Amino acid sequence: MVMLGLRVAVRMTSTIEDVAPRWYSHPYNRANFYRLAAALTWVPRRLRLALARHIGRLAPSLMPSERAAIQTAMTRFTGATGSQLDALTVRVFTDFAMCFSDLVSTNRQPAALRSAHLDHVEGIERLASLSGGLISLTAHVGNWELAGRLLAGRSARPTHVVVAPDEARELERWVRRDGEGVRFVSRSRPTVSLELLAALRRGEVVGVQGDRALGTKGDVEVPFFGRPARFPLGPFLLSSGIGVPLLPAFCLLDAQYRYVVKIAEPFIAARGEEEAAARTWVAALEAIVRQYPTQWFNFFDIWEPFAR
Amino acid sequence: MQTDKVLAEIKDIMVERLKFQPSRLPDLSLATVLPKDIEGSLGLDSLDFIELSIGIEERFGFVIDETQDLAPHFHTLGTLAEYIKSRLV
Repeated sequence: MVMLGLRVAVRMTSTIEDVAPRWYSHPYNRANFYRLAAALTWVPRRLRLALARHIGRLAPSLMPSERAAIQTAMTRFTGATGSQLDALTVRVFTDFAMCFSDLVSTNRQPAALRSAHLDHVEGIERLASLSGGLISLTAHVGNWELAGRLLAGRSARPTHVVVAPDEARELERWVRRDGEGVRFVSRSRPTVSLELLAALRRGEVVGVQGDRALGTKGDVEVPFFGRPARFPLGPFLLSSGIGVPLLPAFCLLDAQYRYVVKIAEPFIAARGEEEAAARTWVAALEAIVRQYPTQWFNFFDIWEPFAR
Repeated sequence: MQTDKVLAEIKDIMVERLKFQPSRLPDLSLATVLPKDIEGSLGLDSLDFIELSIGIEERFGFVIDETQDLAPHFHTLGTLAEYIKSRLV
């Protein structure tokens, strides 16, 4: 490949160098693990979640590098130390186990059954006030996939959910199923952005996760809990390019094991101000993580995602 | 609009929006491949394609909102020029 020095102006301001095509990998996010979780779909949800919590409590001792990453995150999110930090760390694994269990079971139910587990939606009027294309921006917090499906139903517009290429290929059978207005789009091809722009032009919804850097010059550094972390710039370039709003949305598990969807204030990235828009997004993400620290499901060091 | 005129406009967009080095313009031809991960291509990534498509919309005055796959149109400078010409008819 002949790289001829193509870089857009906004990315020229970044000092980030291309370092790796992937941010993180582990042996657990694979089809066999999904198959095992899916096999428990027949178990009543209350019992299934109890089982998930039990497995989650065992996980930290089996996953030392992930436990260390979570401890770092919990320390920075909450300031906790000692036994309080240990308890928070275990809680992340148990919360994740419950959300993961729902991901491959509850999420796959018909919309009417699924909504029985939804307690309420905060900020739904923000979605209702938007016409035309919009970018639903979420993160690996809580049951993010359920948030996308619920919003797709509420917006009554086709929704294109952008997923990592490996997820799309391996996990399609369990969770990446098209239908109910949702279509999963792998970002394996660079021209995928053309599809997304065209969809936004048609007034449709594009769902993206804005918390995992790509390891390319398309990332931007933004302070996250006081320390610089990398975030993808793509959603903000899409927004500024054609003036469509970004709508931060999160789906969190509450104390009664029901879901709460929180929709934050929409905003549009101004041309040339994409990095400022990224900071606005990260502020919304920080607010959610402060409120629900144990539903932060990035099991790697978000501040040093490419360290080996 | 003739193909060479369209190509010249695309090159302008690449200099203005993608910060392509003007000194390298003579290297470009209708056969130049655009997407990254293809041997001999210019190496455009997804963010470059956002810039390029918006630049085309602004320069030529049409909206790219097709439901069909746009990737073949953006494969080379030649296919892109033909696509733009077809939209201008």
